This record gives sequence, C-alpha cells and structure tokens, in this order.
Amino acid sequence: MKKILTLPLLALAWAAQAQTPAPWQTIEAQARGQTVYFNAWGGSEATNAYIEWVAKEVKGRYGVALQHVKVTDAADVVKRVQTEVSAGRRNDGSVDLMWVNGENFRNLKNAGLLHGPWAEALPNWGAVDLNKPVRSDFSVPTDGFESPWGTAQLTFIADKKTTPTPPHSAKEWLQFAQANPARVSYPKPPDFHGTTFLKQILIELTPDRAVLQQPVSTAAFARATAPLWAFLDQLHPLQWRAGKAFPASAAEMHRMLADGELRLSLTFNPNEAANLIASHQLPPTAYSFGFTGGTIGNVHFVAIPVNAKAKAGAQVVANFLLSPQAQAHKADVAVWGDGSVLNTAKLPAALQAKFNKKAPGALTDNVPTLAEPHASWVEALESEWLKRYGTR
Amino acid sequence: MTDNPRTLWLATVPVALVIAPVLPGLYWALSPAGDSAVWRALWQEPQWPLALQTTLTSALLGSLLAAAGAAMLAMLIYPSALWSRLQRHLAVLLSVPHAAFAVGLFFLLAPSGWLARALAPLMGWSSPPNWVSVQDPYGLSLALALAIKESWFLLWMLMALLGEQAVARQMLVARSLGYGRLQIWRAVLWPQLLPRLAWPMAAVLAYGLSVVDMAIVLGPGTPPTLAVLVWRWLTDANPDQQALGGAASLVLLLLLVAAGGVACLAWQVYRHQRQRRLPKGQRRPHAPPAWLKLHVPMLGVGYLVVALLALWSLAGPWFFPALWPQELTLTSWRSANWQPFWTTLWLATAASMWCVAATLIWLEWGPQRYNAVLYLPLIVPALPLVAGQYAALLKLQLDGQAAGVLWSHLLMVLPYTLLTLVGAYRGFDARLMTSARALGQGRFSACLRVKWPLLQRPIAAALAVGFAVSVAQYLPTLFAGGGRFATVTTEAVALSAGGNRRVLAVQALLQVALPLAAFALAALWPHWNSRHRLGLR
Repeated sequence: MKKILTLPLLALAWAAQAQTPAPWQTIEAQARGQTVYFNAWGGSEATNAYIEWVAKEVKGRYGVALQHVKVTDAADVVKRVQTEVSAGRRNDGSVDLMWVNGENFRNLKNAGLLHGPWAEALPNWGAVDLNKPVRSDFSVPTDGFESPWGTAQLTFIADKKTTPTPPHSAKEWLQFAQANPARVSYPKPPDFHGTTFLKQILIELTPDRAVLQQPVSTAAFARATAPLWAFLDQLHPLQWRAGKAFPASAAEMHRMLADGELRLSLTFNPNEAANLIASHQLPPTAYSFGFTGGTIGNVHFVAIPVNAKAKAGAQVVANFLLSPQAQAHKADVAVWGDGSVLNTAKLPAALQAKFNKKAPGALTDNVPTLAEPHASWVEALESEWLKRYGTR
Repeated sequence: MTDNPRTLWLATVPVALVIAPVLPGLYWALSPAGDSAVWRALWQEPQWPLALQTTLTSALLGSLLAAAGAAMLAMLIYPSALWSRLQRHLAVLLSVPHAAFAVGLFFLLAPSGWLARALAPLMGWSSPPNWVSVQDPYGLSLALALAIKESWFLLWMLMALLGEQAVARQMLVARSLGYGRLQIWRAVLWPQLLPRLAWPMAAVLAYGLSVVDMAIVLGPGTPPTLAVLVWRWLTDANPDQQALGGAASLVLLLLLVAAGGVACLAWQVYRHQRQRRLPKGQRRPHAPPAWLKLHVPMLGVGYLVVALLALWSLAGPWFFPALWPQELTLTSWRSANWQPFWTTLWLATAASMWCVAATLIWLEWGPQRYNAVLYLPLIVPALPLVAGQYAALLKLQLDGQAAGVLWSHLLMVLPYTLLTLVGAYRGFDARLMTSARALGQGRFSACLRVKWPLLQRPIAAALAVGFAVSVAQYLPTLFAGGGRFATVTTEAVALSAGGNRRVLAVQALLQVALPLAAFALAALWPHWNSRHRLGLR
C-alpha cells in the first residue's frame, strides 16, 4: 500500500522540482527590454499617477517598459484572458500583469489561467507582513499565484458643514436617508465599490456571519441575504433619483458629495478623502468615518495570466511594487495613500516615517476590520441585485 | 480621364486597402446574427426594450430638432449680412468634437452645473436641485446635445447649398416681385433644398443612432442606449454576447432604413400637397419678428461650453453654488497627462496624410463612378462597420497594434477627404494640364508640378478635415486599440465617469484644440507657401 502511494508522491515531487522558478538574476536578465502590459483599474488619478511613477522607475532600474492599460472592471480582463486562451493564444496574450482580487482571482485560479506559483519566490517577499491576510484572498488561498500589493478598508466620507453626525451602522444609514431624502446613494453594482457596500450591509444584517465564509449555496444565499433585500427595498425610494439611477463610480460620488448633491460617499482607501482635499476635489470640511461595528477590509494583489508574453518583466514589476521604496511612495498621502503590505516595523526609521504620515480628512477612528465574504458570494450578490434593481 | 487599365487598377490599391478587409470582417462579425436563437435571446434580454426606446428618442428627436432649428434659423435670417457672418462662427463650432461638446454641456446642465449655479442665488439653493437634467432615463439630454451639435452641421450644409448662384438669384427675383421671406422659402427654396438635404440628414440620423461617446457622457445608465449596449456586447469575451451585439447592430441599420422609408413617404405627401401652397398672388412681405434671435442660443451655447471647459481646466477649489472658481491655477495643466495628446497627433497626422494621398490618386486615376461606395461610411451607422473592422484585425492579429488602430481610422477619414476634394478637383481648369502635357510632362509629373500645387488650398483643407475626423474617432480607437491606445477622445470619455472635472476639462480642451489648430494651419499655410507667387495668393 505504501509503495503504491510513494510513486505518485515521487512524481509530484519531481514535477514540483521542474516547476522551481528560475533564479532571480535570470529573470531580471530576461525582463530587460520587455514591454509589460499592466491591466489595472484606471478610475483614480492618484492610482494612475502612481503607476506612471512605477513605469518610470522600472524603466530606469530594470529596462522594463511598463504600459498601464486602464480598465473599468477587472472582470473584463478575466474574460479577455479566457477568450485568448480558448482561442489558442497561449504565449502571446495581451495581458502581462493584472490588478486583481476576490472573485476574479478565484475564477482565474480555478480555470488554471494563472502563471505560477511565483509570488513567494520574489526577493522582496521577505519583507511582507504575514500577519496581514496576504496569503488568502476572500477566503481563497493564494498559493503564490498572486503577489500582494496593498491593503484597503471600506471607509465613508461626509462633509462637516452638512453632516456633523454621520451614520455609524446600517440601521443609522437608513435613518440618515429618511432625514436626508434624495441625498444618499451608492455606486451601481457590479462596480466594486457598490458591491462592497452590499457586502457591508449583508455582513451587518445577516443572521449568521459564519455562513458567509463558506462557498455560497442557493439555500444559504436565500436565507443569508433576505435581510439585505428588505433593507434595500426600504432604502432605494429614499435615495438619489428615488433609487432608479445610481452613480457610475465612487469617483462620481465624491464629486457629487463635493457639490452637495449627495451627503455621503465611500472609498476603499482610508486616505482618499485627504488626497481629494489636497487636490481641491473635496472641500476642506470633508472627513472620513467608519461603522462602529467595523467595515470590510481586504488585500489587493497583482497576478500574471498563464498566457502572458512578458512573464519575466511582469515578475520584475511585481517585485518592485513590493520594494520598501515603492510601498512607501504608495503609502504617502500626497501620492496615493494606499495601505502597505510590508512589516514596516522592520524597515529603516527614515522610511517608517513616510508610512505613518497623516493628513486632514483621512480616517482617524480605529475602525475594526471585517473579513470579506467567500469570493463565490460576489457573483451571486451581483446577479441577484441586477435582477431586482438593474433595470429601473 | 482613365487611359490604362493597369493605372486604373493601381489607383484603387490605396483605397482598396482601406475598404476591402472590412467586407470579410463584416461577415465574421455579423454572421452569428443569422441564427434565429440570437434574435430570440435579444428579444428576451431585459435591457433591450428600454435601450431601444432611449435610442429612438435621442436619435429621432435629436435629428428632428436639429433639422427644425437649422431650418428656422435659415428662414429667419437668410439672406442677410448676419447669415454670412454666421459662416465664420460655424467653422469654429464645427471643429468642436462631439465628446468635448457633451462634456461641456454636462458642466452646463448637470444639477450641480453652471446653469443651476447661476440660478442658485435667485432660488436660494445651497445644495444642487433635484433635477434630472443629464443622464435622464429617456435620453432627452442626449437628444438636446445632438440637436445643437447637428444643427450646426445642417446649417453649414444649407449655407453651401444657398451659396450656389442659381438659388441666390431665385431669392432675389422672388423678393423683387414683392414676396415675403417666409413665402419664398415655402414656395421656392424648400422644394429644391429638401431632396438635396436628404443625405446630410441621413448622416445626422446614422450618427445619432450609433453614437457611443456622447451617450456615455450624457445618456442614461440603467439601461444605456442601444449603441452603448451593442458596443459592450461586441467587446464581451463571451461569443454569445458578441452575437447579441452583432444582431443589435443590425437593428441600428434597420432603424436607419426604416427612417429613410418614412422620410421618402413624407416627401411624396409633401409633393402632392405642394400645389395648394403655391402663392396665388397675395404678397405677405412681413419680415419675421426681429426679436426672435434664434442664432444667439443656438451658436452661443457652443462658445459657452468651450468657455466652461477652459474655466474648469484652470479652476482651483470650485464647489456648488459658487459661480466662479475660488482661485485660478495652472496645476491641472502642469500635471496633465500628455500621452493621449501625442498619440492623437501622430494618429491623426498619419491618417489624414494617407487618406489625402489615396484620394488624390483616386481622383486622378481611379474609377470615379464608384465614389458612392466610399461615401457609405458617412451614412451607415458606425457600429456594424467598426465591428467588421475589429473582426478583420483579430484575424490578422493586428488588434492592439499601432498599424491596426491607424487602419481603423482610415475608413472613417477617407469619405471626408474625398468629399472635401472632389469639387475643387472636378472644377480644375483642364487646360492647365493639357498645356503641361504639351510641354512634355508626364501625367504624374504634371500633377506633381502643376495640378496639385495649384490645388494646395483644398488639399490643405482636406488634410485638416481628415485630421479633425480622426481626432474625434472613439469607437475605432477603442475596438482596434484594445484599450492600449488612449487618444484625447477616449481619455475624455473615460474620465467623464470619474470625479475630477479639471483633468477631464484639460483632455476635452485638448480635443478641441487639435482640430482648431489643424484648421488654422490649413488656412495659413497655403498663404505662406505662395507668398512669392502672385497668382496663387
């Protein structure tokens, strides 16, 4: 019996050996001169400007040409990779590196559409803070198929002038909408900010939160989400345009908040309000807040599709994204203000200061972090939402 | 004009390169729509009925309002000194691309827009009113934008027709007989002009049916117009969705044909009733009311919109209900992303040069009777064509490549360069060529040394028009470029969903500046070039 088992095990070990990534020098040498098409959400100027900065750096340091392909929804990139692979484009795909997490990662990983494992072999992996959920993405193990890039937490924004006391729970959100008719809304799912808002309300209202960490099933879905739909049925008539139309994105909500068309906005970046005040897109009286019971937090990653053309270049870029310099620049409120995935305590003191800067408007309350529901819930939530509210 | 079958054949090559690959592409893109299951799926698609309704409202209402506006303005002020002055304004306004106009109109009309800000002190608003003035569910704001933008185009067309000597003389004769302006329009001018305006109207309607960039900025989202849905379906990775997009793009084509049929019927009815409306001797010399200054809002809104774009690009903090920015700053310009600008510049330069060269060769040696085929992209909704181009590029593995994007622009630019050049080319004094040939020049060198230098003005104009058309292209850039090529147009539309109006205003303004600069150059360059040649000045 033992012998029968060892043989396949040996074969597995051999296969693992064959998959051992090439030494880093080889990868850097291969990467020189490659063009890396980085398909990343392009909805925020801060992010776009940061990626531009990264492009300049990797060009100078490693001779890699980074091209930002701005996408509105990572799900489109997943579909693109799927089509390319099924059409036989196995080595010259159009996507080299993509910004991803949650259900999109799960879909790619399950379909075998990801290159890897490579992430934990990156030289800069050693500085990553393993206490953060960097090895599990919406309860799906990453297994080295994606490399962590930053941390995020759902944060709300309001204006002190019009909203001195903001809502601190789903229940208060509804009361706030009653007191401020037509001044509340959320981005239209499947925009990921909109979907996150749904998940936030779901976590607060659902009878048993543990169910959300398991893969979704029809029966569990119906039971768990019933309070959410009841809540939305009450909320929508009180919303902007009576809930018959929704802002397209969080960015649009910030603009509407700035002009007073809305009273509340939301973001995944606790520093975004500070960033927007600095660029005159929000009044200086804007501030961030969270829910008392906590808000959803997660880690976002970069992954390499299996048919990427410039796999070496993509790894070099991913490694640079993890470097203390790149992470510090990203954490700078004046640049992007995105949370770091590194263990900053281990870094030189001069760099640490850059990670800990605070600016007016940023989140100051200590808001507990709630875990994302299992990735499979996202699609179920989005399609049910579209069915109920998608067409007026 | 054609002498040798081989030159004839060669002259069609540059044009054929532009057109020929689209035909199999159209087959690949649209053949899935031959399956009846696709049409059943389209019929059951929940967004489809409302999207169709929005498309019909915005396209039909927009085109009809544009026609009515242009017609009313012409009846009010033609002929007059004002009418000739309008021409210069129209030249400027027509070079404002559709997307930039939509963005500017959004800045004007949105609940937090400039109009509401102007009203705020009167109404005591401290927060924006609950208007549904943009992205309304019926597509009315989109219709309004199309109506204003296309009325300029139709006025321009009317000007060209009314500028013809024969028409102008009829007006003179009828007036000297004592007939009033409106009487003359009804009895003499419209019956001649209407049939000649049919093709420009078809172009306007085709544009309204398949416009995506303006619909993204001003149209509704739940659901969007049919054109936006088609675009999303066609770019979906799922083949079922692509088939849906192909079928729905055929619907756009059918709508255009149906509208053409209705227009033909209306024309027949009009012709039968005309007899009764001929003047029976009574003179009604009443001038139209002078207080009706229709041209002020119709053209003024264009300048207002560009001014708003300029203001936003320079604005520091500027929140509702402030009418002016708290401070002006160059920050947005300094931190502007210039890459789309350079991409647009080379794309538009290359596309206009290729098309003007191809047009010159075609006009000199090509089979002229097939001109109508080259004009087709003007009056066919762009979506099926772009889908065909995309399918062809995918097969050739040229999608996402610079050459592919450039090629996708050529089909849209070529009809305009031909349209701009054909009149001047036909009007060229043939004796000059005969003399050149008699002096021993070959045909090509006679063209190069005599004909084309003499035609430098229309050639420069065609280059500018081609440049402007390429700058404004949204769908071909997106499809063929696979998201890798950002032009000022795609950038402006993408940013319109985001939050920062300043960054958006900068890109929209660049989109206005590029064609304007091209037209200015086209006006100045021949002048400079011929400064030493008395006869050419």
